[in-house]
Amino acid sequence: MIDARGLQARFTARGFIVNEAFATALQLVLALRKPLLVEGPAGVGKTESAKVLAETLGTRLIRLQCYEGLDAQTALYEWNYQRQILRIRMSEGAAASLESREAEIFGEAFLLKRPLLEAILQDAPPVLLIDEIDRADEAFEAFLLEVLAEWQVTIPELGTIRATHPPFVILTSNRTRELSDALRRRCLFFWIPYPTLEEEIAILHARIPGLPARLADQIAGAMQIFREWPLQKAPGVAESLDWALALMAMHREHLDARALEQTLGCVLKVREDHRVLESRRAALDPVLEATAPPLRPGGHSLDTDFGIGSVSTPRQ
Amino acid sequence: MSLPRPGFPERLAAFCARLRGEHGFMVGPGELHDAVRAIQLVSLAEPRTVREVLRPVLTGRRDDLAVFDRAFDEFFLQPRAGTRLEHTGPDRGAAASGRPRAAEPGRPRDATEEEGAFSARRRDARLDLVGRDAEEKSPALRAAYSPLAAEGEHQPLVPPDAPWQAAALVFVRRLEISLSRRYRPSPRGPRFDIRRTLRSSLGTGGELLSPRWRSRPRRRLRLVLLLDGSRSMSPHAGASLAMAIAIAGVATGTEVFTFSTSLRRITRDVRRAASGEPRVLDPHEAWGGGTAIGACLTDFLIRFADRLLARDSIVIIVSDGLDVGDPAVLRDAMDGLRRRAAAIVWLNPLLETPGYEPSALGMAAARPFVSTFASVQSPQDLSALSHTVRIRR
Repeated sequence: MIDARGLQARFTARGFIVNEAFATALQLVLALRKPLLVEGPAGVGKTESAKVLAETLGTRLIRLQCYEGLDAQTALYEWNYQRQILRIRMSEGAAASLESREAEIFGEAFLLKRPLLEAILQDAPPVLLIDEIDRADEAFEAFLLEVLAEWQVTIPELGTIRATHPPFVILTSNRTRELSDALRRRCLFFWIPYPTLEEEIAILHARIPGLPARLADQIAGAMQIFREWPLQKAPGVAESLDWALALMAMHREHLDARALEQTLGCVLKVREDHRVLESRRAALDPVLEATAPPLRPGGHSLDTDFGIGSVSTPRQ
Repeated sequence: MSLPRPGFPERLAAFCARLRGEHGFMVGPGELHDAVRAIQLVSLAEPRTVREVLRPVLTGRRDDLAVFDRAFDEFFLQPRAGTRLEHTGPDRGAAASGRPRAAEPGRPRDATEEEGAFSARRRDARLDLVGRDAEEKSPALRAAYSPLAAEGEHQPLVPPDAPWQAAALVFVRRLEISLSRRYRPSPRGPRFDIRRTLRSSLGTGGELLSPRWRSRPRRRLRLVLLLDGSRSMSPHAGASLAMAIAIAGVATGTEVFTFSTSLRRITRDVRRAASGEPRVLDPHEAWGGGTAIGACLTDFLIRFADRLLARDSIVIIVSDGLDVGDPAVLRDAMDGLRRRAAAIVWLNPLLETPGYEPSALGMAAARPFVSTFASVQSPQDLSALSHTVRIRR
């Protein structure tokens, strides 16, 4: 059994920085065989953590993306109707009884396995990622409870299938609605907060080799400030990685006011948030490189892309 | 660190009992069992690790985290006095039993706590109930006797006229259609149900003779209307009540509340009016006073939300957003509403005023949680509104 530190080391080796608390939670998933409900703001690596866990364990990752209208059929299994109809046509002349024909077309060969059934049928315990469970409706949540508790599925035509190797389950939620208490009770719970300054610097270096140290410090510092602001959409780790890549592509060694202006679209993605930045720009001064020429007062410089980020700009 | 090894399971059980009893955690025998298994994975010499291994097992939501950490430190990290504390109860226990933390809005809160503080606040608000009601009695009474309140006439509730009725019908039907995305078997429908068709074809030798269909079922619309009855809204009271009555006449599940300094459920009066029996709304309680939107919405969440709000509910608030309360209370209440309902529609009559910007403190606090911001003054506005309501899925 891998302990928390071992997990942490293996995750780090794959470029995914986890703190000890999260590593402990993942260790509990492996040890207690209980699902882990991971909540946190968007873009902090909830989904990614499940992928890396699967890699670390060397097992399959099976992913069930939830959405409104998702029903048990789509999540569990479906019959392959086209094949069934063809088979019925072909066996039309045969003298077989109704029962034997029925048994034939509802055999396993005609079964399309959807993620939950797939996860049950594995030979080694896979990692089952149930992504954005808050988007599915309450009916599906109730159905899921049953599957998570029993790890068996009843298909009327085939009988009951029981998992020989119950998967390790990770559920993620963005908290767009309250999950039921019943689901929470079935799960271990972990809240992934935004990373601390040091963690974020470590993440940037781990994910983007060759990133200048000064730039990483500045990006992480600016992110800490952004996340304090009353933004409509606070930037997550995904945003800081994008931002770092953008600045690297522009061959910037450091972050200054001009570079910020040109790459703002990587970080702040709502127009109102740009206004918040305008009103609080002074707070960023400690992070930004002071050597940059000040912005021309009273207007945008012509070579800015207005924060859209898709317009190519002349390099300095 | 007082983690006596021999008696540790008992001590863990006592800790779970405290989490359950004092902090309202959902911790039962199953969780205790898991906790004991979890604890075996780590060394008991390291309190931080023990805490980290117990936290995922015993907490269930984000608001629990800070409470859990505090309770853990109190329980396990106190010098030997920890056992005594169990009985006398630390300060958090005292807060739960005795003096409510009534001055909540003024309490400085750190940023991490802020976002998810609703349920903690809700707990406090529940304790507050007695205290706040008592406090609010006096301003309400004063208002009732003040010269201003004399203007607060009895609000007539009359059966809806034809244009309002027609508009409400359009509004409700359109929303009902957009409620459900899931296709279900039905006698007729836009989609072919191949699964059931095939099953039924077995009897006819695989000949697909009787097609089966799927359609989106029409769900009953669950609407909650919260009408601002404060003095500043009195010029618009007629329109908002007419709208409420018309909608209640069409959608039977509609609940109607009014609020000014306190919240009042007027569903029964409105339903009677909708069924053709004119009523008069007496002005005292939730009509004609000042406005405490945040407090009233919090009150609604505590007393009614569990029963009346489902995930497909649509909350319609009719108010000018001129609030005298703490914007933080309003924000938390709106956040709570947003999480429980499919959409929040805010109808603000001031939108009709040219140049109006929703910049009042209360309105600014509520705005991010509102999915549709509009104004309804006439039946035409109401039928047009059904196009702009966005329902979250």
